[in-house]
Amino acid sequence: MALINGVTIAIVLFGIGLLGLILRRDLVIKLLALGLVNGSTILCLVSLNARVDGVAPIVHSPASVPYVDPLPHALVLSAIVINFAILALALVFVMLLVERYHTTDSQRIEHEIEGERTP
Amino acid sequence: MRRSSRGIIITASVLVICFCALLVMMFDYHGAREEAGVTYITKGTIDTGAANLVSAIYLNYRLFDTLFELLVFSVAVLGVRFYLAQQRGNEEEVTRIPESQVIRTSADLLFPPILLLGIYLVLFGHLSPGGGFSGGTVAGTGLLLCAVALGADVVGRRFHEPTLERFEWEILLAILLLALIPVLFGRLPFTDLLPRGRLGSLASGGSILIYNALIGVKVFIGTWVIIHYFVRHRGEI
Amino acid sequence: MTSQQALLVLLPFIAAFGLTRRRRFTAVIGMGMFSLTLSAVYLLLNAPDVAITEAAIGAALVTFIYVLAIRKTGRLVIVGDEAPGLLEREGDRITGLEQEILAGFAHHLGLDLVVHFLPREEVEEALLRGEADIAAGGIVHVDAEDRLLKTQGHLPTGLFHLTREDAVEPKQTQETEWIYFSDVLEAIRAQEKGAYTLDLARFIAVSRLDLSGYAVERLPGSFSYTFLLPPDREELHKRLSAYLDHLRQNGELDGMIRRYFS
Repeated sequence: MALINGVTIAIVLFGIGLLGLILRRDLVIKLLALGLVNGSTILCLVSLNARVDGVAPIVHSPASVPYVDPLPHALVLSAIVINFAILALALVFVMLLVERYHTTDSQRIEHEIEGERTP
Repeated sequence: MRRSSRGIIITASVLVICFCALLVMMFDYHGAREEAGVTYITKGTIDTGAANLVSAIYLNYRLFDTLFELLVFSVAVLGVRFYLAQQRGNEEEVTRIPESQVIRTSADLLFPPILLLGIYLVLFGHLSPGGGFSGGTVAGTGLLLCAVALGADVVGRRFHEPTLERFEWEILLAILLLALIPVLFGRLPFTDLLPRGRLGSLASGGSILIYNALIGVKVFIGTWVIIHYFVRHRGEI
Repeated sequence: MTSQQALLVLLPFIAAFGLTRRRRFTAVIGMGMFSLTLSAVYLLLNAPDVAITEAAIGAALVTFIYVLAIRKTGRLVIVGDEAPGLLEREGDRITGLEQEILAGFAHHLGLDLVVHFLPREEVEEALLRGEADIAAGGIVHVDAEDRLLKTQGHLPTGLFHLTREDAVEPKQTQETEWIYFSDVLEAIRAQEKGAYTLDLARFIAVSRLDLSGYAVERLPGSFSYTFLLPPDREELHKRLSAYLDHLRQNGELDGMIRRYFS
């Protein structure tokens, strides 16, 4: 297998997204990195069974044409739409947090929550 | 603060790179994963009558999963609605958006084709790439263009919003009932009772067309609700 | 190298670009670029349904809601009565010295500025009820309640007392004392009976009208304009005072005063 194929690049992207999630302090960037991790997982699933000479799985003639495996596509299709909805919900929480503490810095928000908890 | 952050960066990078290298090395490229896919390819059209195998899978073979995914989508939209409805400000500051001629003209020109594309993707989802999710999202994008050009409140006043939100849940109920109807006929639920039709014609694929239409409308309404509530909370663009 | 591989190699660079930006807006646009490239990759991997969905969602919808979410978060609510030169409505916009100071302050805090006009007497109640953050609009510091936090005067002023005993009875009998400055202007224009205490900015505006029937008396002492804050917003008070000091030190405050009152 070639070194550069969908799966390895997906793993690299996963690493980049994970690093971004850990290292950046801004809440909104953290969410963007989480979206990147989502995208990389989907890329990995879609490219697992991809063939070089494949054809999209729309059957018009009998199965002598090398169709690509349609199962990952089906699993991933609704996952993308749901990712968007869940991302919207996560952004709602981020917005509420930011409005309460007037900053998007996650460390400062944690600091202020600690300050509120200890009387 | 500076010293520890550099340490954190290095540690995190090293750990993540090791993790990724491990994944790459562990990955098994010769798999027996082909088997499930081969079954769908060879017998997909015979079983379901749909040309688009992806639609055949998530609306016929794996309809059960799709149902729950729709439920997750509805609950996420409900969550957005719930949390943002609480946070109305004390006054409603109606910000007038400056009207841009370019956006307005392009929205006038582009909205009908985008909507048409969305409807096409939904209706022909069992014959060519597309399906309920894709078509609903594309139509939602068209409505987003209108919202950017005219103002989301203006667009939202065109339809009666509470009815629309209730309608979304009624569609979910309709999909569930449609999936359970075979029980009345003495079959297992989630089987497809409608005729398969000639491969490649519009009236083929059994009830896949109906499911696609319902899902398309549902996703469309869901994305519009999310957009409208975000705009109402944060102001127009 | 096939086109598929070329795009795949491009992906980590775009992702790294997107996630390492300082400005949040650039990061969001970078991730939009990433989604679009990813959609092209899906197409080349023979997954057209996934490509359409990813393009529609990643490029359009996700970018839109992120841009909405990273807007100025929250508002700074100002209440006050209209004061010419300090806080006045000009058609659609609000201008004036205090508006400019507060707009800069709001931008500094990352908030939107929202101004509500209320009669002078209701302003303090609004602060105490927690409906507003700062009170402005030509408030003289001796005039205000002790409970409220005040900032150091940003502009010196004087107080004038106008009385008129004879002539026309006021048009409408006011049950309450809560009137706007525009009502005062109307009353003086109609030469009604009444007694008003006005600060310098308002007095200048009033002096353009016919004041022949009014007894004008300047109250002794030196006063200055101030902003009022609710007693529990000490952090905001500290930041506003620091901001005003900063403006005073680098001369911007004088520049602004000159612009509005010369």
